[in-house]
Amino acid sequence: MSGESTSAHRQDEYLQAARLALDPDRVQLALDLTPGIAVAEAVLAEIDLDANRSISAAEARAYSERVLSAVALDVDGVPLRVELVDSVVATVDTALNDEGTTRIHAVAAMARLADGRHRLRYRNTYRPDIGVYLANALVPASDRVTVAAQRRDVDQRELIIDYTLRADPATRTRRGLSLSVCGALILAANVWWRLSRRPDGAGRTCDEPS
Amino acid sequence: MRTAVRIGSTLALGLFVAVAARGLAQRGATSAGTPSEATARIVASAQTLLTTLDEAGRAKLQFPFEGPQKTRWSNLPSGIFQREGLRLADLAPPQRASVMNLLSTALSRDGYRKVTDIMRGDEVLRKTQAEGGGRGAPGAGRGPGRGGPGGGGVKFGEDEYYLAFLGTPSVTAPWRLQFGGHHLAINLTMAGSQSTMAPSLPAAQPATYTVEGRTVRPLGNENDKAFALINALSDAQRTEAILGYRVADLVLGAGKDGRTIQPEGIRASALSTAQQTMVLELVREWTGIMNDAFAEPRMAEIRAKLPDTYFAWSGATTSGSAAYFRIQGPTVVIEYAPQGGVDHIHTIYRDPTNDYGAKFIAK
Repeated sequence: MSGESTSAHRQDEYLQAARLALDPDRVQLALDLTPGIAVAEAVLAEIDLDANRSISAAEARAYSERVLSAVALDVDGVPLRVELVDSVVATVDTALNDEGTTRIHAVAAMARLADGRHRLRYRNTYRPDIGVYLANALVPASDRVTVAAQRRDVDQRELIIDYTLRADPATRTRRGLSLSVCGALILAANVWWRLSRRPDGAGRTCDEPS
Repeated sequence: MRTAVRIGSTLALGLFVAVAARGLAQRGATSAGTPSEATARIVASAQTLLTTLDEAGRAKLQFPFEGPQKTRWSNLPSGIFQREGLRLADLAPPQRASVMNLLSTALSRDGYRKVTDIMRGDEVLRKTQAEGGGRGAPGAGRGPGRGGPGGGGVKFGEDEYYLAFLGTPSVTAPWRLQFGGHHLAINLTMAGSQSTMAPSLPAAQPATYTVEGRTVRPLGNENDKAFALINALSDAQRTEAILGYRVADLVLGAGKDGRTIQPEGIRASALSTAQQTMVLELVREWTGIMNDAFAEPRMAEIRAKLPDTYFAWSGATTSGSAAYFRIQGPTVVIEYAPQGGVDHIHTIYRDPTNDYGAKFIAK
């Protein structure tokens, strides 16, 4: 039997896979980072700051924060504050054995946005020397949000999501009712005015000739 | 120019027909019976296997239907990822034969061939590693003592495949047949007449090898049909299908359960009837791994939702290139992702509405 190259898995790259979930009032970011075997030691050196081959909770948090400091999110050009929610950082053993994925969950709150079209921009500049990137929008959980289009740069370090935000059903109902009531009032006023102007004397003013 | 495009599209369609016809010939006439009959045959084969095992063997094989074993699958090899279940290397020849007989019952003829080709490819990888050949062999030059779980380092080869039953094999109650190892994860969930293979991960490295003078390409049809499809599109269709960015790996591989990404690419409703047929025949390379009795209803479900199914491509369109593609519809997600070259391929098959049989188990 014969075969070709026996390189089993990505070795000298740091795969960073981002998934963005758009809600009406926030963006949730899930970022999975998996170092190849050849770069695992270098990545570990960034995590295991005291080099004791054990990753403490403080080291894990510090590393997650460092990664997120290289992530930028903005909506319609307004920067968002990306905050760490939780993370699971690869252990020394798993990282050195090509299985160590660090999973970071972050969230960025958004100020209340008007209904209509908006643009979210995501950019990840963490370790561009060894980084290989994936970035995708998830199908929104809220029916108020519809993703219209996604655009990425060639290396997927940047993802732009164009989306539409609709009013929530309660607001839509109130708006609909308000519009209906206004419309009805306008119509009623119009009818009254026309009736008051009829030549058969109905609604005739006192100083008009009979 | 238009003439050249027409000629190119015709040639691509012709190539596709040739590949599909070869697949049909290999598949042969199906006499799979009904899905319930298929389940009954699989259960019988599973029970036969159980009779070959002692108590310890059965304890290794059987797991609760719900529990950590459900998601204990990966494309990674032993030594990096620790699987649980019945390991082929630990079996006596009659037991191992019983496992392979079970697989041949549970899968279609094409599916069984694909699975064994993937396993044989891993055996090629093992032998090449043992001989110290190939570029970038894992562990090479990194010194002794680097081992994963089990302490023995990375392990390739046909012996390193595991079988597990989640739940009890039954003709009515839900249960799952899980089989996998390096570059393979089959999760076949059955409940009477209903079944699904989602999620499953067929992969290959080497993607091409020779056995007794015969060239084997475990994922060759997938590759060839995909290139024929992208080249059968018009320039305008191709522009819509091609993603303007590099996709380095699976987006929804192992460990990515429960996520649905926004579909991209060209919608199948924008394709001609012939092109839509090509999409379906490409999908069949994954759905057709299952027993034919299960595969046909599944194909009918996907065909019914084809207008809302997307085909996306990233990379060169010249056959022989390393290109990524995705097929995504309401009930199917398939990705094909070369890992840095054409000789190492990962794929994933999912159903966002029914991974692990969620739809019919919830009833």
